[in-house]
Amino acid sequence: LRVQSDMRTRVCKQVTGGKKTAKPTKATLKQQQSKKGPLEMSAKKPVPFLRQVVSVTKKVHRDPRFDDLSGEYKPEIFMKTYSFLDSIKKQEKEMIQKQLKKCRNMEQKEKLQQLLNRMTQQEQAQKKQQKLRERELSLKRQQRELAKQGKKPFFLKKSEKRKLELAEKYAELKRSGKLESFLNKKRKRNAIKDKRRLPSQKNL
Amino acid sequence: PADLIGDRLKEDVLEQKGRLQRLVAKDVQPPDPASIRVLRGHQLPVTCLVISPDDRFIFSASKDGSLIKCKWEVESGKRLCVVPGGKKGTEEQHMGHASHILCMAISSDGKYLATGDRNKLIMIWDADTCKRLHIFTGHRDAVSGLSFRKGTHQLYSASHDRCVKVWNVAENAYVETLFGHQDVITGLDSLSRECCVTAGGRDGTVRLWKIPEESQLVFYGHQGSIDCIQLINEEHMVSGADDGSVALWGLTKKKPLALARQAHGMQDAQGLQQPYWISAVAALRNSDLLATGSHSASVKLWKCGEGFRKLEPLWDIPVVGFVNSLKFSAAGDFLVAGLGQEHRLGRWWRVKEAKNSICIIPLKRRATAP
Repeated sequence: LRVQSDMRTRVCKQVTGGKKTAKPTKATLKQQQSKKGPLEMSAKKPVPFLRQVVSVTKKVHRDPRFDDLSGEYKPEIFMKTYSFLDSIKKQEKEMIQKQLKKCRNMEQKEKLQQLLNRMTQQEQAQKKQQKLRERELSLKRQQRELAKQGKKPFFLKKSEKRKLELAEKYAELKRSGKLESFLNKKRKRNAIKDKRRLPSQKNL
Repeated sequence: PADLIGDRLKEDVLEQKGRLQRLVAKDVQPPDPASIRVLRGHQLPVTCLVISPDDRFIFSASKDGSLIKCKWEVESGKRLCVVPGGKKGTEEQHMGHASHILCMAISSDGKYLATGDRNKLIMIWDADTCKRLHIFTGHRDAVSGLSFRKGTHQLYSASHDRCVKVWNVAENAYVETLFGHQDVITGLDSLSRECCVTAGGRDGTVRLWKIPEESQLVFYGHQGSIDCIQLINEEHMVSGADDGSVALWGLTKKKPLALARQAHGMQDAQGLQQPYWISAVAALRNSDLLATGSHSASVKLWKCGEGFRKLEPLWDIPVVGFVNSLKFSAAGDFLVAGLGQEHRLGRWWRVKEAKNSICIIPLKRRATAP
């Protein structure tokens, strides 16, 4: 019987023209059977008591930070589209300040104070980041102008950038008048650090 | 003689494959109402009946738990054995059923009779003496379908707990359980293959259980609760639903091959037009004749078209009451209907004019030219 079946398959392959045609016919036959015929299932799995009458779609959880649909994060565009939030934040801050004035309860006063601090600090952080971005932009603009003019564009070192930042900070402090106190504090801090480095009496 | 044997063998092979079909329907003639015999004896509606394989006895069971074996050839329909039903609460003492008997089956050698009731019990009786041999427990809800595998003593049972169980009656043993239905099973039937078909009530499916392979084939297509099912041959079956539709199924297609909607017409129930529920279907094995019953005061006979792809109504037989069970005799000489005042599964309506009885309808055949 095996010889007969081998013979038959060989002749069939010869007629149909080799390996390529044998496989797709099998696949299509199986597909046809499963589409038209009744569904075949195992009879040994116990069925749950409650029957599914309407199909309930599962909620797909997406994280917009890592989702491809959200696109790439561009800070300028993000700030522009969500700039309306700044006014809301301002209003909320005013609300909390009012509540803080009214409040008598110590616990709640502490909480409100913490919240207020949080908000102000967030604002300051935002402003800092904004300044950084502006500085970067201005540097790039400078370099673009130089390139346009024909000179070779140069890129600053990190230490150079830090020096520039320090210069700006000093200018700012001078304007507000706190330069002296800042410089004093810095000198004290540096003195303590240097003292630590000196050889101590114990190692004698 | 050699020809006869050859023919017989051929028939057997065709029967196995499900291709044997005796085209009988066109020769059957409507009976005259005088020849229809009514045999009474049950107090509550008859729920199910079986005809012994040699066509000599009819066993019927009813909602009061009683079982009657009668010899139908005698004019008065002599009752040979009566097993009365017990009242609720007498299960231990009483030798019989104490609740509604929902289904019955007889083995193909006429030896064992099985009955299933609402108390989750299956009772096995000796068909000749009507003595109870064994009780099978194991189902967790009412037993609603029973059928023997033709030629063996293997019993298939279906129940309202949505599972199908296989039993071996000769050894009084339980074999296995099959799961899959999502609502109560309302009917079960089997022929000589190790397969059975079940009708699944409100889950709208008809399932064919392949027991050696432990798998099931699921067929959809009925709307409404599928209440009754019978196999016509090894490859086709007919089912009836409570939206009045009768469907013919083939094993290769998941939708019915033919569907007859509102087969018994519409009824005016409480001011709404509703189709008459199909409460029983019967098929003459390996032929193309079908019968359906409802409470529309008639039993309708149908002819299956070419390749079971069409369903044509033939004619009606007037009866009064709910037709809770229909069975053809093996030779196709007569049709037995179990009638009652109520539906076999509940008391939605009550037909007061009806008598709780079984009705024997002889089917004459037009003499065909040799």
